[in-house]
Amino acid sequence: MKWDLILSNSFYTAISANAVAYILVASGLNVHFGYTGLLNFGQAGFAAIGAYSLSIPISRYDWPWPLAVLMVVVSSVILALLLGIPTLRLRADYLAIVTIAVAEIIRLFMNSVRFTWLTGGNDGLQGFTRFMENINPFPDDGITLWAQKVDGYRLWLLVTGWILVALVSTGIWALMRSPWGRVLKSIREDEDAARSLGKNIFAYKMQSLIIGGFVGALGGMWLVLDKQSSQPQDFSTTFTFFAYTIIILGGIARAKGPVIGTMIFLFVIQFVDITLQQATRTTPTDPTPLLPEWIVDENNFSQVRFIVAGLALAILVIVRPQGIFGDKREQAFDVR
Amino acid sequence: MGTQVDARQVTVRRVMRMSLLAIVGLSFIAPMFGSSVSAATDDGEIVASVTEQKQTDDGVEKIPVAGALVKAVGTAGTAEGTTDSTGKVSLKVPKEGEYEVTLDVASLPKGVEASDESPTTISVNFSSGVTIGTGAKSVNFFVGDAKRAVINRWELLPQTIVNGIKYSLIIAMCAIGLSLIYGTTGLTNFAHGEIVSIAAIVVFWLNQNGPELHVLIAAPFGIAAAALMAGAFERQLWRPLRRRGTSLTSMMIVSIGLAIAIRYVYLFFFGGRNRRYRQYVGDPEIDFGPFGITPRDLGIMIISAVGVVGISMFLLRARLGKAIRAVSDNPDLASATGINTNRIILTVWLVGGALAGIGGVMLGAASGVQWDMGNILLLLMFAAITVGGLGNPFGALLGAFVVGMFTELWTWFFPNVVELKTLGALIALVVILLVRPQGFLGRKERIG
Repeated sequence: MKWDLILSNSFYTAISANAVAYILVASGLNVHFGYTGLLNFGQAGFAAIGAYSLSIPISRYDWPWPLAVLMVVVSSVILALLLGIPTLRLRADYLAIVTIAVAEIIRLFMNSVRFTWLTGGNDGLQGFTRFMENINPFPDDGITLWAQKVDGYRLWLLVTGWILVALVSTGIWALMRSPWGRVLKSIREDEDAARSLGKNIFAYKMQSLIIGGFVGALGGMWLVLDKQSSQPQDFSTTFTFFAYTIIILGGIARAKGPVIGTMIFLFVIQFVDITLQQATRTTPTDPTPLLPEWIVDENNFSQVRFIVAGLALAILVIVRPQGIFGDKREQAFDVR
Repeated sequence: MGTQVDARQVTVRRVMRMSLLAIVGLSFIAPMFGSSVSAATDDGEIVASVTEQKQTDDGVEKIPVAGALVKAVGTAGTAEGTTDSTGKVSLKVPKEGEYEVTLDVASLPKGVEASDESPTTISVNFSSGVTIGTGAKSVNFFVGDAKRAVINRWELLPQTIVNGIKYSLIIAMCAIGLSLIYGTTGLTNFAHGEIVSIAAIVVFWLNQNGPELHVLIAAPFGIAAAALMAGAFERQLWRPLRRRGTSLTSMMIVSIGLAIAIRYVYLFFFGGRNRRYRQYVGDPEIDFGPFGITPRDLGIMIISAVGVVGISMFLLRARLGKAIRAVSDNPDLASATGINTNRIILTVWLVGGALAGIGGVMLGAASGVQWDMGNILLLLMFAAITVGGLGNPFGALLGAFVVGMFTELWTWFFPNVVELKTLGALIALVVILLVRPQGFLGRKERIG
């Protein structure tokens, strides 16, 4: 077992551009669920829209990248309106079911063979990251963090990504301190009371859905910039539920919650995965793996991280619903 | 505070214990899965046929085209072949993932040309969604200038409706339990799909790996496993959480976490492939004129129709059924009239689990056993109970038919985008919520 490799890789994963994507997606969900109490189960759909609004215009139609980024904004707002108008007046569980359905519709569409000409189907789209590579100031070799090599492009995404995270988190923090944010929290606590004060609940919920959805779309964009490929399987409903795990881990309705939650979540998941990968690896010279094959082997070790993540979500909600660093007065769980 | 922490620790221990049980239980079965992967389930077959359609005075003449080159390209492999004198070619491919089956237009004999209306590339999917029919996938290419669409579509409609009814009945079997659970406890149980899967997986093990029982003999064990799993959830997890006063949203998210964990436990032990039972694969269809149906599918339809009627009669007539509806209507009032609510809820879980188990065994027979089969069905079950009216078991039945028929009719309306067939049901869900938010049979109370 090469512990320095395992640990350095796990630490790197917790701060990588991939982590930035998770932070943004979870931050958006935090606006929906944490601050407003909206049960959005379709955050992966917003992420997918963000990813494909960037990749389709650039890969398929050679748009200049600022226009594509504008497209990310426009399409995430449109999706929020489409989701919100029919469901925000209904009970919380309706929003949950409709959002999960719409996120699946989006994923199925992106995965469809018939629309491969547009979305690339199962293989997804590539070649939309050139604009990011062109303005990369770092040398291609990149740097070595402890035992982990990071290439120049990833380092560039990491640095710009964390600047984006700082902007978004500060923005959300400031918004939620404002009178506007206090109305959102009051909706979460008692919708009828907020309504009786003459607040337009529907409008506030819609604004929350739009802002959180836009931040989630930015996350999806960063995810595919990091992977240099946008593929539908990255945007399954499990992605949404991981975002829930992250905000509960880091503390619900806390601006820094998604950051802390993502770092813990990705570190643990990656650590479990790489350790098991090392422990089950066989080489021609050493055919016996460290762990006996009847427990876990090369083919199924990668499932363990999902089992850990699922159990973590269930147990956290039972034991510490406000999250590890959350404030008990701010838990969003009694939305019904 | 102290007692609260204790209660939490107890519940956590219960969650851990249940997951451990699932892991231990499956690891007992697991060694069998790896070793005896039967060859029959590995190989998939795509039968492609190429037909020329000629417009004549009597209508359309269909002539098989020999010597046409057909290629199947997929994620798991590639195959190609040339059609024989019957216009058919069988392509053997690994039964996994998606294939693009393409007719090489250049290989067509002289005088035969591709039609503008018929596609020369058709996609075939082995692994996802609910596939109806036998193991081999058939793909039909039509060439020539005849108007194919008009004629063939109407011929296909009866078959589509029959498929839709079968699919609806399976969804109904699974969704009634989900609806009853929602009605009596208010819980939106995201782990219901995993109850569907366990029945199919247990039956698969008894049928293919362990004692090699006939499917019909193995089925009761699978159904019992599903009912036990549901009952264990209620006794060990949901009842203590209810007693603690955990909110419904928290419980919903707990069920999501559990569902993810259990689903990946299945994947861990069962593997990612779609596998079939020993019996009822590739049986010839019984011809009913406008449509054909395999004995297996006919059996599935009869069993689920009997099951659905049975559960309806039980809810309407039996004392216990009436008590269930009473708890579903108003738990406090029911409890005040002397009904033991907790016992009723346990019954609901057991009955709902058993019904989901029956649905799972039948889904396994119809389209193969797969680790995430229940999860794929879950969204359609949610759509069904929402469309029908949350908490109303008869609404779930009605909703299942809307969802099942929409799904199959989508393949009829849009034969070119079959892989998007769940879209029909999901769009129906969104539209119906817009027009009638409480669903067909839902109570018209304030829902906002």
